[in-house]
Amino acid sequence: MISTILLLGTVLATVTGRLGDAAGTVRQQLLLPIGQALDRLLAPIDRGLEPAANAYNRSLGRYFGTMSGLQFALIVGSVVALLTAGVWAPMVGPLVGGGLLRTLALASIWAIFAMSWDIQSGYTGYISFGHSVLSGAAGYTTALLIVHVDPGLSIWVTASVSVLAALVVGLLVALPTLRLEGPYFSLITFVAVLLFYRLTTAFSSLGGIPGFGQPDVFTWDPVMRYYYMAIPMLLIALGLTFMARSNLGMILVAIRENESAVSAAGINPTKFKIWSFALSSIPMGIGGVLLVGFTGNVDPDTFVIVDNSIEMIAMAVIGGMSSILGPLGGAFLFEFLNHQLFHGYSTPVRYLFLWGLVLLVLVFARDGLFRMIWHRLGAVGGESE
Amino acid sequence: MLGDIGTLVLQGTMISAVYALIAIGFTMIFGVGGTLNLAHGALIMGGAYVFALLSRSVHAAVAFPVTIAVIALLSWGLYQVLVRWVEENVVITFLATVVVAIASTEFVLYQFGGSPIGMTLISGAVNLEPYGINARTRYVQFVGFVVSWLAIGLLWYYITHTDDGRSVLAASMSERGAQLTGVDLHAVRSKTWLIAGALAGTAGVILGSTGGATPLMWLNPLALAFIIVVIGGIGSIKGSVIAAYVIGFLEQFTVTFVGHGFRGILSLVVLVVFLLYMPQGLYGREFAHD
Repeated sequence: MISTILLLGTVLATVTGRLGDAAGTVRQQLLLPIGQALDRLLAPIDRGLEPAANAYNRSLGRYFGTMSGLQFALIVGSVVALLTAGVWAPMVGPLVGGGLLRTLALASIWAIFAMSWDIQSGYTGYISFGHSVLSGAAGYTTALLIVHVDPGLSIWVTASVSVLAALVVGLLVALPTLRLEGPYFSLITFVAVLLFYRLTTAFSSLGGIPGFGQPDVFTWDPVMRYYYMAIPMLLIALGLTFMARSNLGMILVAIRENESAVSAAGINPTKFKIWSFALSSIPMGIGGVLLVGFTGNVDPDTFVIVDNSIEMIAMAVIGGMSSILGPLGGAFLFEFLNHQLFHGYSTPVRYLFLWGLVLLVLVFARDGLFRMIWHRLGAVGGESE
Repeated sequence: MLGDIGTLVLQGTMISAVYALIAIGFTMIFGVGGTLNLAHGALIMGGAYVFALLSRSVHAAVAFPVTIAVIALLSWGLYQVLVRWVEENVVITFLATVVVAIASTEFVLYQFGGSPIGMTLISGAVNLEPYGINARTRYVQFVGFVVSWLAIGLLWYYITHTDDGRSVLAASMSERGAQLTGVDLHAVRSKTWLIAGALAGTAGVILGSTGGATPLMWLNPLALAFIIVVIGGIGSIKGSVIAAYVIGFLEQFTVTFVGHGFRGILSLVVLVVFLLYMPQGLYGREFAHD
């Protein structure tokens, strides 16, 4: 029995080896020339954009990282596209299944989640499977405040208390677990989600399965709703990119690569891991508040379930972990595929496609799609980044 | 009160046996490859669904071993097709296996829908009321207990008394040491996944027969496996069995005396205490770094 299986394994291994050779040929014969042609095509554009990029590099490059001409154009183009989506999305929407503004608003919220996850898990390598607990804490705090304290509380009060709640829950999870090395942290966060889910369904004061319907949505106007979600998202992206490019981000990456080296350099890794978790909890809380304003309902299925945590991880993976902007792009791609392109399929089929895509990215493009594009664009000018 | 204690002991013993089955496979894979297989719960779920499908057409006594074989092969396939290509990177392995688990939920939803599927390995129950125990223990639970100890016994024999098994043990102690004595690491890992799959399949059939098969049934076993493995000591089979009984009794205790809603909470408290004060677990050892 075992020997037949081993034989099968050998056969499988040789076949995959052949496939590897074939992939090598394809890369040589097909992808390389295409890449070179693209380089030739794009290089003049890159040079043309250089002055603008250089002006940026001189003034702000120190804080947010330097870019080549094309990279600069990509960022500026994306920001402009996001800011003007209220104008173009209703026109383009019908071509891709309709409801594009809703998808973009949802993608903005998820982008916040994915980026928050990234600054903690992507940068330090301590993978959290429980980030939905943080957004859940914020969402449930908002709902509980509105239901039990005063339905007329201003959004500023509920939002700030909710973000604080997310931070407190984040520290509660982080303080005991982040002292440990290795996989324990992931295990604890995973169990924490399950526990939180059980709490919300077990106690009627937490709303049970139906949750709370009392919180109001921010607005019903799709254009306004989109901007309510997109502008905080862009600000958070800016803030997190700044943090990630600062010394803090450098230490977090160092923790991922070699924690004992960080200790040896006289830096306390635990302190910085807890910092990164706190830094991640705050935008998670903001995202949770926005999600309440988007759905108008706080229940375990939209806020807590494990799938949510995994979904933000998937977005970060597709976009490229430890790059902040990668997960942002990943979130938009994920939601666009989910709600627009695969619009006609049933939910399980859509998710099967998406999880398949994530697996492919994990195996064949570990750095993520957007990071790949980014580095390719950076390499057009001849110098590799 | 006395009856409650009787129930507690009986139910605790039965449940813990299944928990041990769940945890051993998980801890073996971690011990040998250093891989946390988050798809372990999905394999358990696979066991339940495969058995439910098979037992519609053939007798349960045939369907049971076939299910175990199918899940063992699935687990082995998972290793060959996916995990072995990414296993050198812990984080990627983590993410890849959890994505497999989530995808399996979607697949089950797509194929069978969300409603639970009932199945029985063996029907009937024994009424222990006359003996002062207020629970109807089902025969399935007894079978689960027996099968669990049978599996543990076989595994113990395999690990300690055969060369094949000893190479698994060696690889979990020190990879370099094992390689130097001529152990084929890749073959050992493949075997480990095969065995872990068989154990997961067995656990799946028993869990499915007691609670039905649902698309999210992989979550709780996986969380339990985590907790048990941490308490028992990562990579230690003996520790897993003992920790399974600790957690099983603890859960049964909360259900009997505190309330159903608090089921996992006490276990979590124990887990946190262990993580803080005894992170190596009951029988864990420092890994021999090379």
